[in-house]
Amino acid sequence: MGIKSLARKKAIHLMLVYTGGCNGCDIEIVNTVLSPKFDIEQYNVYLTWNPREADVLVVSGPVTHWTKEPLIKIYESIPKPKLVVAVGACALTGGVYKNIHGELPSEEIAGPVDNVIPVDAKVPGCAVRPEDVVAGVVSVIPILLEKEDK
Amino acid sequence: MVTKIDGATTCNETERQVFETELNMGTVHPAALEPYRVRLFIEDEIVKDAEITVGVNHRGIERIMEGLPVEKANALTEKVCGICSNGHIFNSCRTGEGALGIEIPERAKYLRVLAQELERLHSHMLYLGHGSEVLCHETFAMRIFYIRESVMDLLFMMGGNRVQYGISVLGGIRPRADLNSREKQRILDTMDYIDEKVAAFAERFVADPMVMSRITGTGELSQKQALDLHVTGPTLRATGYEFDYRTKMPEYEPFEFNVITQDGGDVRANILMRATEIFESTNIIRQVIKGLPEGPIVNRNWELTDAPVYKSYIEVPRGVCYHSYGLEDGKVRHSIIRTPSMSNIAAMQESCIGHPVQDAQLNIVSCDPCFTCTDRAIQIIKL
Repeated sequence: MGIKSLARKKAIHLMLVYTGGCNGCDIEIVNTVLSPKFDIEQYNVYLTWNPREADVLVVSGPVTHWTKEPLIKIYESIPKPKLVVAVGACALTGGVYKNIHGELPSEEIAGPVDNVIPVDAKVPGCAVRPEDVVAGVVSVIPILLEKEDK
Repeated sequence: MVTKIDGATTCNETERQVFETELNMGTVHPAALEPYRVRLFIEDEIVKDAEITVGVNHRGIERIMEGLPVEKANALTEKVCGICSNGHIFNSCRTGEGALGIEIPERAKYLRVLAQELERLHSHMLYLGHGSEVLCHETFAMRIFYIRESVMDLLFMMGGNRVQYGISVLGGIRPRADLNSREKQRILDTMDYIDEKVAAFAERFVADPMVMSRITGTGELSQKQALDLHVTGPTLRATGYEFDYRTKMPEYEPFEFNVITQDGGDVRANILMRATEIFESTNIIRQVIKGLPEGPIVNRNWELTDAPVYKSYIEVPRGVCYHSYGLEDGKVRHSIIRTPSMSNIAAMQESCIGHPVQDAQLNIVSCDPCFTCTDRAIQIIKL
């Protein structure tokens, strides 16, 4: 392990982007960080609202057409190495909003997060449980450190 | 541009006033949890005018509901909002039952009130936590989030999920959500725990001179303004006007509770308002458990028929929520959902005006915004 990844391991910064779900997943993610019961900070992961500081981007919600461009902009302004964790059923598949009555696609949704930016880890659930968010974010940290050394 | 005429706000395109500086934020901004756009017009660090726009996360859920059988559409309304999800499924089941003329068993009515009050508890605690975080007092936020977990555990016990618990179905409640004696005792124990912990929290909060001087007199909204703007829920009650739709709902008739009001309409009144309402909710939950009648929990004897447009209003944690259904052969022909934040947006704009720009975020948060569920199609009819 190089000196850079050793330093980064102590302060992973997580940024939350919300792209139009029902708000349930977002509150569970904020809960993961703020609630002492789950407390992701014990794994040296901190919440930030600045994309220039972030290492891990957590995306929730089906990407509506209006939020597609801001999401790409936020993704591009994160310095390398960066990882994306898609959280919740909407972010993985589009959820109940993606299709109207079976196969007829909705005009409002630009698709799951996969269609817009590359995704490294997927956390299922509607809404996600905080334990799963902790497990999902912590499981990508070794990949982040590996990328740092290259 | 919004211009002020006699305290009320009206849209007037012709009288456009030009301000020195404009500060805009959004629509997707890292500092705001939900996507919305705020434009603040500033002169000498004082906000002269404010404008909040939503519409980014419109998902067209009413469009998806069209043509579905009414019990499937009810399950979809839960996905409107992640905070007051039970309020939406409760109201849509109420609408469907009213339209089709379905009788609900007494026990199901009591358990629906129980779920609604548990949701009010967790929503108000989320407000207190979010408000404390915007005040930059993270210790208070962590403390209230820890108390909130006990309510989330009760909802998980009843519905099997932490956010979308889906307790109501057409004709009653799900068999999963029925309570046995052990679960009843657990709810009573948790209510005692919440009363004790929230009282200690509120005492500590009020005794903190730094926090109180920050929130007293910030973001004032007068009672006349609130009534002109048709503000609902705790934000209206914080201005001293006694209005609670629960007093008019037949579900709440067996229970005794007070309508809490606070004077001032500033951030302090809003925060104390929610903290005091927590004790009323725990009181109602104790009465529900004490008087819970025995009997069936769901009525399956109903048929899907045609029904004219039926409207239903209930009190959800943020104010009055409206649902309507028009049914054709039991399938949803049209549906309208109106959430309380729709009318509270005006209060958010108004409470920013005349105050320093650094208080703007706090003033918006003090009106308890939920922009996600507010994003419905609105048609403005010019008369």
